[in-house]
Amino acid sequence: MTLRLILTSMATAARRNTSDRSSVLVNIVFFVVVASVMSALWRAAAEANGGEIVGYSVVAVTWYALAAEAATVSLNMRMIELVCDDIASGAVATELLRPASVLGVRISMAIGAALPRLAVCCAAAAVLGPIVGGAPPRALGVVLAIPALVLAIACNLVAQHAVAAAAFWARDVRAVWFLYQKIVFVLGGMVLPLQVLPDGLERTAMLLPFMTMAYVPSRLAAGFIEPELLLLQVAWLGVLLVTAHLVFTAGERRLQVVGG
Amino acid sequence: MTTTVIATRSLSKTFSMRARTIEAVRDISFEVARGERLAYIGPNGAGKSTSIKILTGILHPTAGEATVLGYVPWRDRRKLTMRIGTLFGQRSQLWFELTPRQSFRMLAAVYRMDARVAERRVAELGELLDATDLFDAPARTHSLGQRMRCELAACLLHGPEIVFLDEPTIGLDLLAKQRFRELLVTLNEEAGITIFLTSHDVADIEHVARRAIVINHGSVIHDADVAAMRRTLLSRKLVEVTFADEVPAPMLSGVEVLAHTGTTLELAVDTDVRSVRDVLDEVLGDRRVVDITVLDPPLEDVIAEIYQS
Repeated sequence: MTLRLILTSMATAARRNTSDRSSVLVNIVFFVVVASVMSALWRAAAEANGGEIVGYSVVAVTWYALAAEAATVSLNMRMIELVCDDIASGAVATELLRPASVLGVRISMAIGAALPRLAVCCAAAAVLGPIVGGAPPRALGVVLAIPALVLAIACNLVAQHAVAAAAFWARDVRAVWFLYQKIVFVLGGMVLPLQVLPDGLERTAMLLPFMTMAYVPSRLAAGFIEPELLLLQVAWLGVLLVTAHLVFTAGERRLQVVGG
Repeated sequence: MTTTVIATRSLSKTFSMRARTIEAVRDISFEVARGERLAYIGPNGAGKSTSIKILTGILHPTAGEATVLGYVPWRDRRKLTMRIGTLFGQRSQLWFELTPRQSFRMLAAVYRMDARVAERRVAELGELLDATDLFDAPARTHSLGQRMRCELAACLLHGPEIVFLDEPTIGLDLLAKQRFRELLVTLNEEAGITIFLTSHDVADIEHVARRAIVINHGSVIHDADVAAMRRTLLSRKLVEVTFADEVPAPMLSGVEVLAHTGTTLELAVDTDVRSVRDVLDEVLGDRRVVDITVLDPPLEDVIAEIYQS
């Protein structure tokens, strides 16, 4: 994969994604509704708990919820299903006829499609956050949260491709998609800060790649200045990329031997 | 001097499906020279797509050998894809929400083409395929015929030496089919591109190919010049005429009456004996005609004739 191909793939997908303005609008509305509900829930829980919950103030938990929802709403959570369909229908087989990595092009395009949505969510959060919760606890936290959100999306999309590659061996992997989604929601910190989980589960979640997909940017946005979390994301992204590459390569080889 | 660009020897592919095995391709051997226009034809399930997938490197054969432009396709797929083009009638290379021109930019990056060279090539292809006007409207707004011309441009962008086309005319209306066939002939004659076309439409053979390989149940059953095939196997045309009033069945040499229901006639015409035009002149006379259709025989009939001969 050349840098030019990565950038062109991302730009192509971004253009394709933003060509439909109504879907951009739906995206904003969806983000505003979900982020408002989630932050209201967590603010209520924090206020009921003396103005703080597991170390997060009312304002911090608001920004946690906004970042977590931005990481969720920005990406296509049905990516696993789409990749599975493309493997089953033979679309991936014809992509093998191009002199470029099928996985590389697909991931670049998926990230390119997610970035405009992320930008829209971040802009909406910048307006919504101060209205519903107040100014961010630490400005630096918000600054760090932006690259963390990009990395969170990248980690999630790469992991989804690695999981979706199961379709090279099994025809129907919808159950896997359902399971993946639930794991990311809970162990990825999408619906609640990981510190809320029981001790053992929290420790387990911290050791898994899912925490890079929502918890890390949300923790930073909540004002916890822990830049080492960004390094952790980069490391997990590397591991996930290698895993996805190995699984996809094995799947492509199987496709070549067994057929679509 | 002719150069062989595709060579297969005893190529076979077997798929194992739980308890049963399917021999999709069985002991296929043939050679294709540079600049040939080859129709690789057979009914559905004959093994055409499996063969094309092996020759383009998507599938590994179970046995046998093959080289395309000197590469073993399944081993050197990436290198081979730089020198071949593929067009699958039921699979798009374009992104529907984007204009073809935007899709071409993406494909140019995939094929590591210089951006200015790619722009020039797009302009050339636009002229050659008479499709320049189509390049700037989203692909989803195009008719199937228009889209296929853009697909062909996408497939030719990187200047392939061989183009593999898998059922490219499927779903096209008669005019679009005819136009597409003419384009393939032009590409072959003007750019010297080798055409490897799979189809189950007899007309594709007649109008595009100079040579046809007929495949059935995974094996090659016929390999001949189309000119020779036209004399021996493709000399039959089906003529259907609907009249306003009742007509008698004609008694003409070289004409077999397949069906006669008062106002309609279905005839099989042996064009070696009598031309379709002659038959129509005789049959129509000054009668009032509602509808006339002239058809090629279905591929199944051609194959049955091959087996008989």
